[in-house]
Amino acid sequence: MIKVEGLYHSYLKNDNFAVRDVNFEVAEGEIFGFLGPSGAGKSTTQGILTGLLQLQKGNVSVAGYDIKNISRKMFNKIGMSFEQSNVYSKMTAKENLSFYSKLFDVETRDPIELIELVGLKGKENIRTGEFSKGMKHRLTFARSMINNPSMWFLDEPTTGLDPAITATIKDIIKEQNNKGVTVFLTTHNMFIADELCNRVGFIVDGVIKLIDSPKKLKLQYGEKLVEVEYAQNGNIKKESFSTIMQEDKDLLNQIIADKEILTMHTKEATLEEIFIKVTGRGLA
Amino acid sequence: MKLLSSFKKELILASRGFYFYVELVFALVLLAVLLFAIPQNFSSTSTEYLFFNLPQEGKEIFINNILKDDLDTKSEMVEVEASGKTFNAELIVTDESEIYIVDSEEAVRALADSEKVIGAVIELDDNNQLHYKYYLQGYESTRLKNLISILQNESTDVLEERFENQDVRPLSTDYEPLTDRENTIPPLIAFSGSLMGMFIMASYIFLDKKEGVIEAYAVTASSVWRYLMSKIFVVLLTSVVSGLIIIMPVMGFRINYGLLLLLLLTTGFFASSLGLLIASFYDNLVKAFGVIYLLVFLLMVPSIAYFIPGWDPVWIKIIPSYPLLQGFKEIILPNGDIAYPLITSAGFLAVGIILFAITNIRFKKTLSV
Repeated sequence: MIKVEGLYHSYLKNDNFAVRDVNFEVAEGEIFGFLGPSGAGKSTTQGILTGLLQLQKGNVSVAGYDIKNISRKMFNKIGMSFEQSNVYSKMTAKENLSFYSKLFDVETRDPIELIELVGLKGKENIRTGEFSKGMKHRLTFARSMINNPSMWFLDEPTTGLDPAITATIKDIIKEQNNKGVTVFLTTHNMFIADELCNRVGFIVDGVIKLIDSPKKLKLQYGEKLVEVEYAQNGNIKKESFSTIMQEDKDLLNQIIADKEILTMHTKEATLEEIFIKVTGRGLA
Repeated sequence: MKLLSSFKKELILASRGFYFYVELVFALVLLAVLLFAIPQNFSSTSTEYLFFNLPQEGKEIFINNILKDDLDTKSEMVEVEASGKTFNAELIVTDESEIYIVDSEEAVRALADSEKVIGAVIELDDNNQLHYKYYLQGYESTRLKNLISILQNESTDVLEERFENQDVRPLSTDYEPLTDRENTIPPLIAFSGSLMGMFIMASYIFLDKKEGVIEAYAVTASSVWRYLMSKIFVVLLTSVVSGLIIIMPVMGFRINYGLLLLLLLTTGFFASSLGLLIASFYDNLVKAFGVIYLLVFLLMVPSIAYFIPGWDPVWIKIIPSYPLLQGFKEIILPNGDIAYPLITSAGFLAVGIILFAITNIRFKKTLSV
């Protein structure tokens, strides 16, 4: 669905590249997470993929269209949810979506249905200038689905949303993906990426450091430990045991058999910990 | 269909915005100025205060001579106030002047001082010759002072005879001049109806840039040119409406409205394309203000030449607002040259298309993420 080869981009059109030799592919039906701190090159790459930035060097194809010569028809297949909400503040939620629905050559979704889907039921006739930041963000997210895109670009789709709405948004993304929609998710939220993405790519200083599935990364970079809390002589003890060393495995079995276990969980590495280990940088 | 949808959206936004009404209210204010502040023809009537310090017979000869030019050949007794005092005066109104004949030099001096006009005392000197004393304001030109000197040193009979023997013949007989009010219309309509579009258009774009909606439009299956053109349509609509608000109540149905609409639309297209181009270089109105201000100032220069017929240098004619003003003038002139507004419209349309094409390329290139 997306193929990027040798992508370079410089805002100043010199050797100071915002992205350098970026190569990756996103398969149809995949959720690909593009992760990195602010200024890493996520938005630049996404801007080129969506035609908002001109391709300077490299080969990029999206949904079967060559980005060098963008056809407006490509956008019938693409949906884009921006990090910064960008809806007409003087128009109502319904007017906003109705207007955008007329800018595509394909069958579009009912604006009211989309408004309700993102939890804005009853707000359809209110001007978005009166909306909170989170409500505008949800409407921007809803708008990106108006043309039933098969390739969906999501830039920080849950930023500034409360946990309940975040869960709703995640469910919508999963549901769309189950219908075959390919998702390119740009975020610095590792929990969202971990939960949703089939594969993730780490980008730092314009260079992709690593691409793999979250599961494989955890196996590769996790510490393979089990952390146990148990009661002993009226006190609570906390210990870690290796799941590889035989001596630790025996000790763990003995504790399970003899002691009252309070908590026990495997100590997996989080994506954020892996990101720091791989790139030597945090995500802030 | 996409263009129509974009146009409808722009109409909704404009009707809920500020600038749309600013332009219409501005047009109504200009109309009010035209109808109530600018007379049909500017009056050149002057006010004079005279005191004839002469024997009664001499005084009557002067007054009777002036009375011949009075509109109803009758004078009127009035009271005039100056420096806190009230003076009796005999008022004679002619085509050119309101002449107050007062009964003391003190009155002449006080009135000349308070009303800032010329006063005169006519009296006999020691040799029984007429003596004229003028109270001037101090800012009169040397030419006026010389003229006053000549008038007193040359026999009025000789001057009158010379005036009467002058032969003045109009060379163009089919030329019907505009009234002063009508003559004021072209600059007003040019700036309110056409050039205001430049500023309004830039404002619309900066509002959209602030909301980030241009980027949202750029990832739809509709082209950027449709987005830009829909904005131009709204600006053209307001240009036409505000232009008609100004011109219809004054000119009625005496002009060719087809030509007027053509010139309003083509010049509006040019101005809004120029506004778009400026907006493509800047992020907000504050940053673009310097350029817009300079352009508005430059475009206003031809209107100065318009009101000063003696100042019409060649370089002014290449400023776009010059043919714009002349084009509107030809349309409202009773025997105006039809070819001029047609050629002007074609020129503005051609330049507008070029500007629009450049703007379209720039907007495609400068959409940032």
